[in-house]
Amino acid sequence: MVGPYAGGVSGRVSAKLAPRYWGAHLLALVLVAAAVGLGLWQYGAWQAHRDAEAADLTDAAPVPLTDLMGPDDPFPGTKVGQPVTVSGRWVPGGTVYVSGRERDGQDGFWVVTPLAVGPDDAALPVVRGWIAHPEDAPAPPTGTADLVAWLQPPEGTGQADDDPNDDVLPQLRIADVIQHVDQDLYGAYGVAEQPEPGLERADLEQLPDVGALTSIRNLLYAIEWWFFGAFAAFIWWRWLTEEDQDEPASAAEDTPVG
Amino acid sequence: MKLFQTYRVLAFVVGVLLAFCSFVALPLRYIPTEGSDLQQLGETLSVLWVAHGWAFMAYVVVTFLLARRLRWSIGFTVLNLAAGLIPLLIFFMEHKVNQKVRAEHPELVAPSPV
Repeated sequence: MVGPYAGGVSGRVSAKLAPRYWGAHLLALVLVAAAVGLGLWQYGAWQAHRDAEAADLTDAAPVPLTDLMGPDDPFPGTKVGQPVTVSGRWVPGGTVYVSGRERDGQDGFWVVTPLAVGPDDAALPVVRGWIAHPEDAPAPPTGTADLVAWLQPPEGTGQADDDPNDDVLPQLRIADVIQHVDQDLYGAYGVAEQPEPGLERADLEQLPDVGALTSIRNLLYAIEWWFFGAFAAFIWWRWLTEEDQDEPASAAEDTPVG
Repeated sequence: MKLFQTYRVLAFVVGVLLAFCSFVALPLRYIPTEGSDLQQLGETLSVLWVAHGWAFMAYVVVTFLLARRLRWSIGFTVLNLAAGLIPLLIFFMEHKVNQKVRAEHPELVAPSPV
């Protein structure tokens, strides 16, 4: 082939890289970047709204645990993270340490002591706080206590306690904790709002589910922005690779060779 | 041509949604006192902005395809795309496009009863 556009697509692309087109390239870059950025912003807003709504229940006014569930009731599914007031007597002998709990990036343990609150001394395991090394934990409390705790469903996806004789558990599983006490346990645990002196506050592992439609508008906007970004990129690419209609590009192909 | 008809329908939908959102939903949302029934209605109607946005996406694609098929100039194409974001402009542009198509591509317009 002969002619100024014999280079095919790559020839056309390099022709479009001439300085007089730099403004157009800059515009395309700005448009694509802006659309991606705005999409990320809406996506962030979507996530932030959902997190805020999930956290909302944890700020609700505390209600007595006994109003929410009895020792043998299943966990009330809509009450994940609900603050509850509990009052009862500590069961210091049932203290366990739950391993693998991160706090600010540091691996550590939850310090858990059951509190006998219900009828027939049925107890709720209470996460009193977090500590890096269980041997540094303060002695388990005795006597009675009134406290506010966030209600959490029991853990237990089947990770077995590899050594049932010590007081370290891999998960806060009611079936494991019950080996350490003599009474019935609730099908739930609480995370104390105020950690004990000497312990850090434990983070909630589970927040309430947020409805699928919460803040869906932000997500739809995010998709829209990304769509427009992709569209701008597509037009840019078409413009880069297509033949300039103003110039007689096809004339070269009509020229008889030899 | 299907594309031209699709363009006209989308232009109408986008235009109506945009006009309604800008001239009804937006003032209702911000002018009445916060929390009043009218203001709440404006809040609810604002959901239509999402509908406008998604209809506009389809409009952009269809208009772009039509622009390439009919070899519109870049300026006319951009003006038509932007018309989906400026209240009422789209009705005027749709009229323009209709005239232009009838003049330049009469074969695309369904034969009208004489």
